[in-house]
Amino acid sequence: MNETEDISKNGEDTHLVSEKSARDFNIRDYLRTSLFPHFLCPGCGHGIALRALLWAIYELDIDKNNLVIVSGIGCSGRTGAYIDANTFHTTHGRPLAFATGLALARPDLKVIVITGDGDCLAIGGNHLIHASRRNLDITCMMLNNEVYGMTGGQASPTTSETRYTTTSPSGSIEPVFDACRLAEAAGAGFVGRDVTLQMPRLKNLLRDAIQYRGFSFVEVISDCTEIFGRKNDLGESPEMILSQKSAMRPSSYGNVVDEPFRPNTLKTGILARNDRPEYGATYRAHAETIQAKGK
Amino acid sequence: MNKQEKPNSITNVLIVGVGGQGVIMVSKVLARLCQRHGFDVKQSEVHGMAKRGGVVFSHVRFGEKIWSPTVSEGNADVLLALEWAEALRWLHYLKPKTGTFIADTQHIVPPFACLKRHRGAEQRYAQETPEEIVSQVAKGYALDATGIATELGNFRVSNTVLLGTLSTALAFDEADWRDTLAELVPPKTIDTNLEAFQKGRDWVEEVKKTPKKEKNTKKPNKIAPYQQQVKIQNDIQQDLIPVITAAWCKGCDICVKMCPERCLKLNTKEVVELVEPERCTGCRICEWLCPDFAIDVVKVPTPLNEEASKSKPASLPETV
Repeated sequence: MNETEDISKNGEDTHLVSEKSARDFNIRDYLRTSLFPHFLCPGCGHGIALRALLWAIYELDIDKNNLVIVSGIGCSGRTGAYIDANTFHTTHGRPLAFATGLALARPDLKVIVITGDGDCLAIGGNHLIHASRRNLDITCMMLNNEVYGMTGGQASPTTSETRYTTTSPSGSIEPVFDACRLAEAAGAGFVGRDVTLQMPRLKNLLRDAIQYRGFSFVEVISDCTEIFGRKNDLGESPEMILSQKSAMRPSSYGNVVDEPFRPNTLKTGILARNDRPEYGATYRAHAETIQAKGK
Repeated sequence: MNKQEKPNSITNVLIVGVGGQGVIMVSKVLARLCQRHGFDVKQSEVHGMAKRGGVVFSHVRFGEKIWSPTVSEGNADVLLALEWAEALRWLHYLKPKTGTFIADTQHIVPPFACLKRHRGAEQRYAQETPEEIVSQVAKGYALDATGIATELGNFRVSNTVLLGTLSTALAFDEADWRDTLAELVPPKTIDTNLEAFQKGRDWVEEVKKTPKKEKNTKKPNKIAPYQQQVKIQNDIQQDLIPVITAAWCKGCDICVKMCPERCLKLNTKEVVELVEPERCTGCRICEWLCPDFAIDVVKVPTPLNEEASKSKPASLPETV
């Protein structure tokens, strides 16, 4: 199948949401309600992303006993703890490493990794590229809020240039990582990106990512209002999520006429999708042949 | 009727409707027919901004010599309306004592007729019934042309049904009408159109035969097919309302700013409140964008317009 065709088709469909699903989905079935209200700051986009993920899980009808949420350290790592499933809070930057072992040992489980931009790209950057390279059946949701929020607002690999943080008091001068291009180049089977404001579309993207058999990487553009937004005078959370939306263009639009007027806009939607063999299956087949030879 | 018989009279016909109904088609047929009989004809129309559902009107004037292309108020000999509200809107153009009024009783409700945007809210549409109007004009025909056309298998020929009715009001030969009609409609639809034309004429014959009171025994076709669809959606969403778990809300203002109806507000404790429940359409945007999971758009047992406040506490989900 032609890849571009596939992408545009998915891009157009993703804003649809069925009324039945919206009505029947009760998020409290998937939350550890005794821990609420959660620890996230007012207006933190991680909560919206969490809802999208849980809704996608609901739509795919995944049994909570077969679902494992692996999360790292940081604001994003803590969101995993609110999910009423098998959750696994790991060391900084290593959720993908833990998830790799888990997915190889227990292929019957659905492994979803929740990680942040610092967790995934700085401390665990190495694990991201190798998880992408192997194409093991893991879904990785990276919540990108451009900052290390929990530790006090240090610059992360995705902090845009000229942005102020505690470690870049005169504006960041480092070039940023495009996490989706990194994962795609490293060989991830499914790569997507969306903003939290596009809620039903984000849910559909995550649903497609979870359904994909192989390593699927989804970057969710989230907002850190309390630290990053305040320091850079980006307004309250509504303004922040609206400006994030305006800085993105759906990939299905292609090279539209207004591109010259909107330079440096990031693409959203499904950015890459291929049919590389899934590593777990290859690994097991390989093990079987060796065992057969040994006999 | 021909030029010699009525040398100095001018006939004004005003055809009104909404976009997509075929107003221009009817006026074209009429204008061509008049030209064939050697009349001077002027037709002027406004359809530019009509799109589908907007107002379209067409003035047709014919006689010995026509100067003005438009019909002035109170001067139309025939008012032909393809839609009921349009018929009422243009009624003052009709000649008070001698004008003929022909209208379809079909209702096409424009989106802005629904001022309250709550699901299932009542639409503000003309309340006048066809009987009322027909009794007030000199000569009135109100028929369910769309219903007749639907029976024929194609609702789009409703304008031809009305053309058939119009043909009885003007003194041209029936055969001429048919020829002109067949000439102008797409070749594939000639048979259906001629049949619809005949139905329109038959309807008038029937009305003339039966006593006046029994006119319009048929109920007007109030709901167009697409409106029925809308109604079904209304029934589903009518009774949705956001229920707020105050203990979880952190007052981030996202739902307040994103609500398309502006029916949420932060109170003095920085906790969101539903201040105008009657405006809520149940669109779920607040639920989806709440980062604190504090809003659940749920069904309330009774519709909002019937004392929703009483039933609200019963539907509150379990809170912590």
